[in-house]
Amino acid sequence: MRAYFIRRFLLIIPTFIGITLLSFIVMQFVPGGPVEQAIMQIKMGAAMSGEGGATGGNEFGSGNELPEEALKQIREYYGFDKPFYVRYWNWLCNVVPLQMKYPFVKWPNLGTSYKYQEPVWDLFVKRFPISIYFGLVGFTLSYLVCIPLGVFKAIKHGSAFDAMSSMIVFIGYSIPGWAMGVILLVMFGGGSYWSLFPLGGFRPDGWSKAWDAGRYAWCIKMQLWHTVLPVCCYMVGSFATLTVLMKNSLMENLGKDYIRTAFAKGLGEKVVIFKHGLRNSLIPIATGLGHLLSLVIAGSYLIEKVFNIDGIGLLGYTSIVQRDYPVAMGMIVIASLLKLFGNIVSDALYCLIDPRIRFS
Amino acid sequence: MPYLLKLLIVLTFIIKMLQLLITSPLIAIVVLVVVVGMWKLFKPTVDSPIFQKRVRKFKRLKRGYFSFVFIVTLYILTFLLPFLVTDRALVVYYEKDVNGKMVGEYYFPCVKMYQGKFFNLDGRDKYKSPNYRNLKIKWEKEKSKNWVMLPIYPFSPNELLLLELSNETGKKVKAVKANTALSPEKKTAMLKVLEANRFPPTKPNFKSNILGTDDRGRDVFARLIYGFQISISFALMVTTITYIFGIFIGSLLGYYGGKFDLIMQRFVEIWSTIPFLYTIIIISSILVPNFWLLIGIMCLFKWMGMTYYIRAEFLREKAKDYVSAAISIGASDAKIIFKHILPNALTPVISFAPFSIVANISALVSLDFLGFGLPAPTPSWGELLVQGKANMLSPWLAGAPLGAMFITLMLVTFIGEAVREAFDPKEYSRLR
Repeated sequence: MRAYFIRRFLLIIPTFIGITLLSFIVMQFVPGGPVEQAIMQIKMGAAMSGEGGATGGNEFGSGNELPEEALKQIREYYGFDKPFYVRYWNWLCNVVPLQMKYPFVKWPNLGTSYKYQEPVWDLFVKRFPISIYFGLVGFTLSYLVCIPLGVFKAIKHGSAFDAMSSMIVFIGYSIPGWAMGVILLVMFGGGSYWSLFPLGGFRPDGWSKAWDAGRYAWCIKMQLWHTVLPVCCYMVGSFATLTVLMKNSLMENLGKDYIRTAFAKGLGEKVVIFKHGLRNSLIPIATGLGHLLSLVIAGSYLIEKVFNIDGIGLLGYTSIVQRDYPVAMGMIVIASLLKLFGNIVSDALYCLIDPRIRFS
Repeated sequence: MPYLLKLLIVLTFIIKMLQLLITSPLIAIVVLVVVVGMWKLFKPTVDSPIFQKRVRKFKRLKRGYFSFVFIVTLYILTFLLPFLVTDRALVVYYEKDVNGKMVGEYYFPCVKMYQGKFFNLDGRDKYKSPNYRNLKIKWEKEKSKNWVMLPIYPFSPNELLLLELSNETGKKVKAVKANTALSPEKKTAMLKVLEANRFPPTKPNFKSNILGTDDRGRDVFARLIYGFQISISFALMVTTITYIFGIFIGSLLGYYGGKFDLIMQRFVEIWSTIPFLYTIIIISSILVPNFWLLIGIMCLFKWMGMTYYIRAEFLREKAKDYVSAAISIGASDAKIIFKHILPNALTPVISFAPFSIVANISALVSLDFLGFGLPAPTPSWGELLVQGKANMLSPWLAGAPLGAMFITLMLVTFIGEAVREAFDPKEYSRLR
């Protein structure tokens, strides 16, 4: 068993290299990269200044072509003077937290953002709390609602309540969270019907000042006020799958022999269902926890975009749109590592909870 | 007359399809391959009695079955949209002056373009396709023998109605101003309401645009219904192609196993960890995406899901006796994979298909919402949602696409639920 997991961990290395290499190559061939953007900016600047000061004494002549020297400098600044495999190697050496010198371990360096001129890691650290906050609240709430609902549906299988709640669950399944966000904003956030909730954002302006000033009650109220709509959208996504999974898994267990035995030896229905049945039927739900981190951190950029929440997801999205490669690569590194480790953690949890399962 | 019309509709439909296939050989090849591939793949499964039994079970599940019938009918009807929802008239009867004698003839603008001067129109309409709605009103007012037969819903998805909206409001404003019976306060209030509707987005109005217009003055209902056709076609194509590809790869992985399986699994893992939407954003910022390119990109990144299921099914089926029997009589690998094992491994494919369609429709809408989907004038739900978010005071803009999406996806989900129950039944035994 240990050998199996060690092998799985080792297999992460080639997979990780494959993912980052492929993404790196794709990004190299996209037009409108940082070099072109810089050239554009300089040209625009030259044209503007040429219009303003009519003397026209600027060094770029008519401003149509940049001198070779300047181009070379721009390329060098962004590191685009070297072939892409050299750049990939440099990038990889920076990211991998190992080095040949004495401590042999170093903090991974994801580079500096072109747009913000800040280390990528700092950008991430600033936004982690926001995404984690929404992710965790949504996650906890959906588990708190879905598990009891699934259990209740399984116990009352075939009843009117079961049919009704199935209907609601499928309605929830058929609408994407972010699309529901748009209509929620129009209904409750805009001026159309009720102006109950804010139009978006993580916190109102001046929140941290108020917190420092000790107005905790106001702060918490404001925070909750900004949380309601996005969290609804986060929950809608996992609501249906979780409930149905819980229900089916409990139903399956209730038909097994050990439940029959439990009933036969005279245990009460509650004890049988909640002590014997529920425990075993939580296994498939628990293994989903392996991907918890990945869900929480990567967030949903669509929901963040709809609600203008400046989280990790939105950062990744804008980095791609604006060709901010270091940030985009950083996103890919984090997302892929979380996913790869999440897979293994899921399997490990599976083994821990249910010792009968053997991988080989 | 109706008989003629029917014939006309069928003929133009066939001609249009043929035209499409001839002008773009690539599409023709793709369609051909998909149809033949599906037929070959599913023929043995469909013929088996157990499949027939499951179909009968599916038909008994009323909610799913009716959703299925409804959506399929609606989708087939959308191919007649050029005759149902369009600004071109179906039939025009027009009398022309031929050597001093008035000769009446029938014209079919829905099939052939006519310039305005053909119907003796002047000014703005002289060289472009006439506005048949106005033509109808004009001829009715003149009480002339000419007449226009408009389609059921006489607006096109890409038609700009700015001028018409403004003119209509202008007429109403004039009428209110001329009305002396009204008190001045009431007049100003009424004028205010009217003026608000002069410029798009305008409110839903049961007499003309039943779901209102969007912020560029295009009819929302027309865009919605054309968007439905595009979404469903897109989801069907993507689901079919990814399934064929996924089934193929998955069956190879499961059947051969070993080193091949290990290496290919890593490849699949790499491919599926690359953030799909990032890649699609990157690709669509290089190339201007069209319908087929978008299908291609989606297929490139969505085929992995099915491989896992098919691989697992193959691993299970491979150990069974009938496979050993097939091997021992010397059947070729291809024959064992496609003739023997695959028909038994297709259950997950069939029961997951509706849910994949739901996912693909949502994916297209979200791409359109981000602005990386179909190019600009194409009617799409995601684009309407963008407008809905930008114009919060016009709730019909977000409500209409969301309602459409909600109904469509819910119906497909119902189908999926019924299909799963019919094809992958879980018998639960209860003790108490």
